[in-house]
Amino acid sequence: MGEPGRAREPIITVRALCTRFGEAVVHDGVSLDVCEGEIFALAGASGCGKSTLLRELILLHRPDSGSIRVFGRDISGLGDEEALALRRNWGVLFERGALFGSLTVSENVGLPLREHTRLSDRLIDEIAAVKIALTGLPPSAGLKYPSELSGGMRKRAALARAIALDPKLLFLDEPTAGLDPLSAAGFDELVRQLKELLGLTIFMVTHDLDLLWRVADRVAFMVGGRIVGVGTMQELSKSQEPLVREYFYGPRGRGAREQAWKRK
Amino acid sequence: MDADRRVSQLAAPEATLEIEGDAMRCVGAWTVDAAAGLEHWLAGRPRTRLERAIGEPDGKERTAGRAGISIDGSELVALDTAGAWLLQRMVGTLANAGRRPVLTGFRPEHTALLQMVGEPAMRAAFPAPASAPGLLARVGRLAWTRIGRGSELLEFIGEVGIAAARSAVRPARIRWRPILYNIRTAGFDALPIAGLLVFLMGIVIAYQGATQLKRYGANIFVADLVGLSMLRELSPLLTAIIVAGRSGSAYAAQIGTMKVTEEIDALRTVGIPPLDQLVLPKLAALAIALPLLTVYADALGVAGGMVMARTELGVGFPEFADRLQHALYLSDFLVGIGKAPVFAAIISVIGCFQGFQVAGDAESVGHRTTVSVVQSIFLVIVADALFSVVFARLGI
Repeated sequence: MGEPGRAREPIITVRALCTRFGEAVVHDGVSLDVCEGEIFALAGASGCGKSTLLRELILLHRPDSGSIRVFGRDISGLGDEEALALRRNWGVLFERGALFGSLTVSENVGLPLREHTRLSDRLIDEIAAVKIALTGLPPSAGLKYPSELSGGMRKRAALARAIALDPKLLFLDEPTAGLDPLSAAGFDELVRQLKELLGLTIFMVTHDLDLLWRVADRVAFMVGGRIVGVGTMQELSKSQEPLVREYFYGPRGRGAREQAWKRK
Repeated sequence: MDADRRVSQLAAPEATLEIEGDAMRCVGAWTVDAAAGLEHWLAGRPRTRLERAIGEPDGKERTAGRAGISIDGSELVALDTAGAWLLQRMVGTLANAGRRPVLTGFRPEHTALLQMVGEPAMRAAFPAPASAPGLLARVGRLAWTRIGRGSELLEFIGEVGIAAARSAVRPARIRWRPILYNIRTAGFDALPIAGLLVFLMGIVIAYQGATQLKRYGANIFVADLVGLSMLRELSPLLTAIIVAGRSGSAYAAQIGTMKVTEEIDALRTVGIPPLDQLVLPKLAALAIALPLLTVYADALGVAGGMVMARTELGVGFPEFADRLQHALYLSDFLVGIGKAPVFAAIISVIGCFQGFQVAGDAESVGHRTTVSVVQSIFLVIVADALFSVVFARLGI
């Protein structure tokens, strides 16, 4: 778990962010900081604007107002070159993996390396194999096509692609969605290990309470386009905010919390 | 080079390996950005620098068997998995060359990374791709898959036939709404493009005929030429080709995408046979729409010929229409229209069949869509040729 209180540099800074889709207000003044080296989770019910915020952070969607700084740079109005420089420094795991179906897993992982470095094909294949092994896939998975993999393996392969360029920042969109509990638990462990080994900062969007308890250093809780609470899970679970309490003290929230206590 | 410029702009880390006798020092940031340069440097010609560094152990050490070589990591600024892998590979090369590499001065986190990257399991992690089969094997395999495809197509036609028969017995199960919808998209929406194309074709035929007919003073026979070629051959064929390109491809893409997203399976689980829901309405709609489109195309093709006949040959509209009455029999019209339902069946069955053949991913959808258009146009023309032979034998 993280050490709250230790002063660290914020890697992501969001201030007064507002987003609208036509009439619908998605974000209504969101502000948050993600510090270097922490696992930061954005939690909340479906449709509260979590994924849209993630898309805005990774330059896939433009907010209507407010500022987003990543690695200390304002990401609105970046040129192509600057955007590319930023994108090379982060990896993204999409909810459904988004592996390229026409490429093998190994080619998928090697794609960013092939595009952005001048490494030899052999070295790229080797590095891809290392990343595939890092994510806990068997070596034989490298030659398979995504359609031949199970859901859990596809997630791992997608994670291998996300860390292909050894990014400093990793974005995970619902990393455990669609996984069975055992695979999900394995994935929790994997994310933690990778963070330790590679010194990553991780920003994840999830509504998996187990993941929040077990992996996240800090959690921001989003309801209806606003952040209603930020802190460690222990802090949040003592929050007096009714919406937060409802989330954590619902039947599933209680179960996950008890599990987490038992483990300690 | 553009790529080079981009790479060098984004990354200016310095990574080097300093070699002094039996001591190596890793200096700088051994990261993915520097790995290309490092790799290149290590593999320098004529002998790799690594070979040069390790190749000349003195006689004493050679007799001792294994000579130690130290690799110092205390001056590493940064190390990531790519750099770590490169280092591990170097260590492996040294070990294979009979040297005993000793890692010293690495920071704990770097040591952890090196260990993780160097786990024995990972070194075996490069399965060789299957070797490419020979020419004979490829031909055989291709023939075998083609035969398989052919029999699957026959199977599909059989299934569609059975489903159609079942619907005919119980008309209550016919899905009228998708039929009407498909008539609109495949038929009505195709009116402008089909009309324009056959109109232009009528102009072309009349124009080509005009130069020949003028020579014999047989101007009026342009009506025979345009009328017969349009009604019997060109308008059914052209209409079918347009529809194959417009709608056949759409059928393949729609069903293929539904297969990828498991919607076909979902249909089955809620008890709706995919053939009833997706194939039969398209087949029925096209069997209705294509003959109608052909009638419309007949009219516009002849109109194109009339326009050209008046400007090039001085045959006015009334004379042209009058001659057309004598030149054409009802059978000519019916021969053209009669082919249309057959073409419709070919287009819809091939389009849907290729859609169901989609497996897995987006590329497969694209491939199957292409195949559906090529195959249906090919089969339409083959069928047309067969019709010509049969009609000639029958004397129609």
